[in-house]
Amino acid sequence: MPSYWFGDIEDGRCTPFTGDPPAIAGRVRSIHTDMDAFVPPDWEVAVKCGACKDRGEYLSRLREVCFAAAERGIRDQYAGKDAELLQMVRTLDGMDEAINLLSGRVAEWHQILHPAFSRKYRRTPAHVLVKGISRNGRGALGKVAAQIEELAAARTELAKEVSARANRVMPNTSALIGGLVAARLMSRAGGILPLSRLPASAIQVLGARTALFAHLRTQSPSPKHGIIFQHRRVHNASRQLRGRVARVLAGKLAIAARIDYFRGVAAPEFLESAQASIDAAGKGAGATSAGGSEP
Amino acid sequence: MIWIGDVLVSRGEGGVYNERMLGGARVWDPYRSKLAALYYTGTGREITQEMRVLYLGAANGTTVSHVADCAEVVYAVEFAPRPMQDLLEVARRRRNVVPIMADAACPEQYAPLVEAVDLLYQDVAQPDQAAIVLRNCAFLKTGGDLILMLKTRSVDVRKEPGEVFRDTADALEAGGLEITESVWLAPYHQDHAAIVCRKIRTGGSA
Repeated sequence: MPSYWFGDIEDGRCTPFTGDPPAIAGRVRSIHTDMDAFVPPDWEVAVKCGACKDRGEYLSRLREVCFAAAERGIRDQYAGKDAELLQMVRTLDGMDEAINLLSGRVAEWHQILHPAFSRKYRRTPAHVLVKGISRNGRGALGKVAAQIEELAAARTELAKEVSARANRVMPNTSALIGGLVAARLMSRAGGILPLSRLPASAIQVLGARTALFAHLRTQSPSPKHGIIFQHRRVHNASRQLRGRVARVLAGKLAIAARIDYFRGVAAPEFLESAQASIDAAGKGAGATSAGGSEP
Repeated sequence: MIWIGDVLVSRGEGGVYNERMLGGARVWDPYRSKLAALYYTGTGREITQEMRVLYLGAANGTTVSHVADCAEVVYAVEFAPRPMQDLLEVARRRRNVVPIMADAACPEQYAPLVEAVDLLYQDVAQPDQAAIVLRNCAFLKTGGDLILMLKTRSVDVRKEPGEVFRDTADALEAGGLEITESVWLAPYHQDHAAIVCRKIRTGGSA
């Protein structure tokens, strides 16, 4: 007794489905078809069934159902997962790049207009300089500087949102390395699923592609860390210990990413033991290697 | 297929992907569409007004729009959400395209929707292309045609393209299909082969 999108057929009798396209689409999802004894649907059967008048109506109703199903499918695929976070991180990185580029350009321009100005012996950060230019600069220069400031404000806002979103979407990875860096790792891998499939050694050098391939091609030393260097535990560690901290941290991150993908909630007992072993590596004690307490 | 001089075209509403127009018809670029490349390098299979087509791996709907110009109805199956959004836009303008969001490797997901078809076209870039075809043969009428675009580098990068091609051809013939034509799509697409088959018996199970 096959079931088709327009209705159920039982003992040669057909019961049409009723309802709007989304309801029918929902019903189609619940149909289990046995492919071994499968007979494709036939529009003439659908007409006899009373689901439609002719072929034209058969196709137009079928299309409505398929559109409803596809729109729901797209929403489901994007919802609650990493798709939006991915776009947010990449936008953030794009904004950083634009802000740096424009700040440098504006500073050069300002210097041309003020022959007495020099940045030598001053430790003026770029954003302070831009603020001054936007206050005093006339015409286009002042406007561009003001825009950079606005862009920087939007960037700060976005960074907060990225961090908050990452804490929610990937709680374990974020707990170990902070929301922003966790989100960057995810963005570089292409999603939480691809990140969870990476080995720890790949996570360790994610974002150090140039150095990695230079190492593989020539005799140069291997990179110790990529994006994870941005975390204070790595860049605050002494030079001799950085490699070890990065390795242990990457090992724990690989486990955390898998918990994030498969479970989606924080695992306190794992986080506690992971933090402890990363701290131990940073202290230079006879630290354990990555691996250890799989939850 | 419609040729104006030595340019392949199809008749329909233009502007889908900024394609060139020629004498009011849409130019079908062999560098963008593997199906067009097949018509340039081999003979392929004529798509006519009364044909029903099942198209697996519809992607952004570029080739789908041309097939829809030629056929009665196209069932377009695509899995990924991003290209699906583009495909839906194409389907909104072309009333003979039925967009289906499902995995071509799992035909039971869309079995209640797809009628028996005259042509099965597959361009999925998966490692088990032959198995996916055989699972979808349930929709193909006996005597109907299959056009398979074999991306040999997606099947196994370590194997020689020719070897991948032979393995796939053997699997298709074991599944009740008769190969009528096979061509490499060079120079339009590298390491891609097109295999045209006819379904000669039912029951070739995957």
